[in-house]
Amino acid sequence: MSIEIKLSRFNRTYRPDEPLEGKIITKLNSAISHQFIRLTVNGAVNLQVRGGSAGVIESLYGVIKPIPIVKKAVDIRSSGKIGSGTTEIPFSVILKDPKEENLEKFYETFHGGNVSIQYLITVDVVRGYLHKPLSTTMEFIVESEKDNLPQKPVSPEMVIFYITQDTQRHTLLSELKSGGFRVTGKVCTQCSLLDPIGGELTVEASAVPIQSIDIHLIRVESILIGEKIATESTLIQTTQIADGDVCHGMTLPIYIILPRLLTCPTIFAGPFSVEFKVSIVITFSSVLSKKHSKADPKATKPWMAMESVPLELVRTI
Amino acid sequence: MGVEFRRRDYGAEERACSLPRRRADTHPLSAHSPSALRVKESGCRNDDFVDPLRATDGIMEESSNNILHEDISSEATAPSDISAQLRVRKDWSSFKRILMQRFPVSKTTPVSLVSAVLVKGTKGELDDSKNFDEEDVKVVSQQECLSKLQELKDEINQSWLRDDRVTSLRLSIKVARLLMDASVIQFYPTLFVLATDIMDMLGDLVWARIKQKAEITEEGGFICSLPDNFKAGDVCFDAKETCNNWLSKVGSVRELLPRIYLELAILPCWRFLHNHPENNLQRLVMMVRGIADPLASAYCRLYLVQCAQRLPQYDTGFLITCTNDLKLLLMRLTQGRGTMDGNLSGNSKLVLTLIEPTIEYIMRCLLKDRKQMEISSILVALGMGRDPSTLFKNCSCISIFLHYILKELPIGYTCFNAMEILHLIECTDDSSFDQCLNFKLLGHRLCERVPELSSVHLLVDKISQVLSCYDKLDAYLMVADAYLDIILENQLGTCLNVILGGIFDRQMEEKIGENELMILQSILLKLVAHFANIEDILALNHFLDILDMLHGSSRNSVNMQLLSMATRQGHIQDPTVIEVLLEVAQALYDGLDFSNMRKDDYQHPARVISRFVYMVEYGTEVELHLRFLAQCRGAFVCISELQVSRPLSVQEMLVHSSNKLAVRALRHGNNSVSFVKSCLAFNEVTVPAIPSVIRQFKLYLETAEVAILGGFISHVDELIDAAINCLQSVDSVDGVQTTEDVEGIISLICKLCGILVMVPGSLDQGGACIPKRVLSFLDSQPWVLPRMKIKVLCMVVFLSAALSQNQFLYHAISGKVIGNYQLFYGVRSYHQELLSFSGGILQDIVNIVMQEPSMAVRGKMALEACNCVASSFKMSDETLEACSKLVEIAKSCSPAGDKFLQSTLKFLDAHQILL
Repeated sequence: MSIEIKLSRFNRTYRPDEPLEGKIITKLNSAISHQFIRLTVNGAVNLQVRGGSAGVIESLYGVIKPIPIVKKAVDIRSSGKIGSGTTEIPFSVILKDPKEENLEKFYETFHGGNVSIQYLITVDVVRGYLHKPLSTTMEFIVESEKDNLPQKPVSPEMVIFYITQDTQRHTLLSELKSGGFRVTGKVCTQCSLLDPIGGELTVEASAVPIQSIDIHLIRVESILIGEKIATESTLIQTTQIADGDVCHGMTLPIYIILPRLLTCPTIFAGPFSVEFKVSIVITFSSVLSKKHSKADPKATKPWMAMESVPLELVRTI
Repeated sequence: MGVEFRRRDYGAEERACSLPRRRADTHPLSAHSPSALRVKESGCRNDDFVDPLRATDGIMEESSNNILHEDISSEATAPSDISAQLRVRKDWSSFKRILMQRFPVSKTTPVSLVSAVLVKGTKGELDDSKNFDEEDVKVVSQQECLSKLQELKDEINQSWLRDDRVTSLRLSIKVARLLMDASVIQFYPTLFVLATDIMDMLGDLVWARIKQKAEITEEGGFICSLPDNFKAGDVCFDAKETCNNWLSKVGSVRELLPRIYLELAILPCWRFLHNHPENNLQRLVMMVRGIADPLASAYCRLYLVQCAQRLPQYDTGFLITCTNDLKLLLMRLTQGRGTMDGNLSGNSKLVLTLIEPTIEYIMRCLLKDRKQMEISSILVALGMGRDPSTLFKNCSCISIFLHYILKELPIGYTCFNAMEILHLIECTDDSSFDQCLNFKLLGHRLCERVPELSSVHLLVDKISQVLSCYDKLDAYLMVADAYLDIILENQLGTCLNVILGGIFDRQMEEKIGENELMILQSILLKLVAHFANIEDILALNHFLDILDMLHGSSRNSVNMQLLSMATRQGHIQDPTVIEVLLEVAQALYDGLDFSNMRKDDYQHPARVISRFVYMVEYGTEVELHLRFLAQCRGAFVCISELQVSRPLSVQEMLVHSSNKLAVRALRHGNNSVSFVKSCLAFNEVTVPAIPSVIRQFKLYLETAEVAILGGFISHVDELIDAAINCLQSVDSVDGVQTTEDVEGIISLICKLCGILVMVPGSLDQGGACIPKRVLSFLDSQPWVLPRMKIKVLCMVVFLSAALSQNQFLYHAISGKVIGNYQLFYGVRSYHQELLSFSGGILQDIVNIVMQEPSMAVRGKMALEACNCVASSFKMSDETLEACSKLVEIAKSCSPAGDKFLQSTLKFLDAHQILL
């Protein structure tokens, strides 16, 4: 005896103004009768504080009450029977009915560290008191509706950066400080989720040989807890763009494909926000860097130089 | 009534048999008059027959051309794409094979490999870079590494087949990571070939999968069939999603180098998303800049360029960027780490050698099938063009690049811009490549089409300038050799002499090595090949001095060419030239190492020397000529000792020449007796030195003929005696006979019989003395077949018959030789002896014919013998019996309509031998 949901789309991705369509498939050994078949759509923002900048007290709260986005139940069959063998029951639900008042904006599906936005569809075949109801749940993915989206291409907003021994706020190795280095370039600050992060970088000078240049993609999730804001940054992707002591004066491209499961459009909501940052990290080769190669990549080290710029991710058509 | 020779009236017979003759107007072999030709041609045109090789009428040609063009244009779009792709793949695999051969795997040098690759790992996510850092580095042998890679390849394939594509990708990333380690540099090319093999395989798998997705749905439903030139719009959403998925997965690889390799592997898949996948190339080229290791980045560019060719189209822009980047890299390599004096340190040198094939390949792609204009702009873009604004002032070029560009430039372009290129080479002198090799290459390229060359004088002047700066012999020779054809074709004699002088001066100072020897040989051979006559060559500055510098096989081959060239132009008459050539021949002869050579190796030199001896001509100075021959005999002693079977040996040539001299002296008449005698004496001494008895026999006969001509009867007798002696020693000396030799002996014996007609016999020995010796020789030889015996017997019968006539068919020109008919006129015993001797033969003849096993041959033999008997003897019982038996044999052995048989029967009839 099994029941499953099969959505009409292979990638299970829907926009709020589109009907959520699919089939309920039952495989039964013998025919059963039921009172009704109910389909429930549930969407919510789940917030959770885990370390980060939250204090001891805040972390005691643990899970904060979720913020509901959508919750609707539709009976797709009244009482009746389902025959033995495989039966397919089609369904179609409107996610966002223009006549209804929605609880919240339909944020895009996102699974982060502190913030999680999830949409679920549940089917229940209710069979009276004597029998356990047949039921199954499946996650579907919501993307922003097309009407509100900016047309592609997004105007490339670039920021120019300079990285020298003087722009660094942490202590540098003495040879770096004295010898000096200068890396310049530009990187985009607003980027479509479908496009790679673009930019370029040039090593203009460096007395100490470079070991590697990496681009870190960092996600920053913040939650409002009472009066305080708990923030957590996560390094979600590292992409190397220079391996070894590259030629000076040559332009290297920055081209980073966004990891789809770990990103979403930048959100600034009242109780929470999800933002992104790009860090350009230059590692110089020195005896020390080799010894500490296994250290935490986010922490600043004396043999490293870095520059971070905010990155706004947007959904485009 | 006994047998009796038939009386012959040769004059009457000749008159009866000869055809009436008439003088012809034209020689049958002379060229036709033009008018006749034209008539013939027009006749051909009217014919229906169409010569497939001849151009047809204009209209027909045009129409067929059109058809051809249409065919091409209609097919040009799709299938040529595929064939081009196939060609690219084929080229690539042959390039890889050459690369592997060039840098073979050593068994001893170990490589360190990240053990993650070698251990089957299935843990974690796609990107296990964190694990990577923690892995131990394991040292394995190269061989072991190769087999591991092979295992990995199989594993990738298997997981793909299990639908575990993520594992396939993960393993592929591991393979790509191997390429990051360029520490064992000699192993890198091999590693590259194997790893890219795996990359290519993965690329093909991904391509096939996405294509399948675009054509067939998950459920197996048919969507569409993508044509070979499909557009991104033809591809369904799901397939695009899958493609995006792969690109994202590859894009998430942290390390730069593996990320580039993987993206390159699936580069053609961009076609599912965009109509212009080539737009990614520029970015990829720039991404490669991030790889600092020269070796790794050069090979990465190589793979990039190769993968670009799998796209339907691409422009040269990325190739130029790629080349310029590589150039910068090499500049850094050659300048940065080089020592002060400009020589590269050992390691850099090795790295450069390893990078060389990548440059070669990229240059080939860059310059393949380009038009003139394109080439010019490419060169400008590479900083080595003819840009009027810079005009070479700051040409930034690296000689190794220049070398491979020169190699690929079309010859037409090179010839047209020779001066500019020369200048470019002159400006480009760095440690990456020897400058003189570039000069050399340019020279060789230009020599391919000398006539197209412009401003030759300027060019040659420049080269002379360059040459004058070289102190070392090898560089001097190399460059001089390369431009020699140009100098020769344009007849720049002074320049040539300067160069030869330069070579001579430099060789005085250093020892000539193997390499220099080869180039010197090439230079001298070019000179020999170019000049039409030997005097011009000898007139060149230092030619003989330079020739003397050579030794060994180089010397031999130059000597040989020189001799054959000198003898090609007709007789050699100049005494100084003869002297020089004799020295050359002597040197050639001395240079032959008889003990270690195969037969073929020395046959050619022997032939050339013989030819030289033959072509020498002193004109009327016959005595000088004979002295020369004697000199040769002394010089080329050994050649005759070899078993030189087919070509004439030098000694034979000497005998021929001396005979020729004798005949010529006889013709001129005045006071020749002593000279001819010395010629004969010369031969009598020379012939015994010839190893082959058969040849001795032949030469004795030849000399005997000359002696008869001169009327030196005593010499004739001696020579014929010597010849017969020779014959008798055939068996003991030569051993097993070849059929060819045997046939030769038989025909020489026949010739001897012919000569004997003219030779006065002696009463003491009897008339049939020599034929008897011959016959006894034949009887003693087991190899003499019946048919040969019959031939000789017939000949002897003919000889006897001829000798018994009152007037001979022919006789010696010289009046000094008295014919036998005069000598033995009326001597009965002489004639009786001949008759009885022939009668004996007549009795044997039938038996010998019967000994022949083959029926066809036996029939022919019988007829031959029958003709001989019938024409030699008068009608008698014996002859009749012999003839009838022979005709019987012939009838039983050959078909009734046989023409020989018919004509023989007619002949018998005419001679009133009635069977």
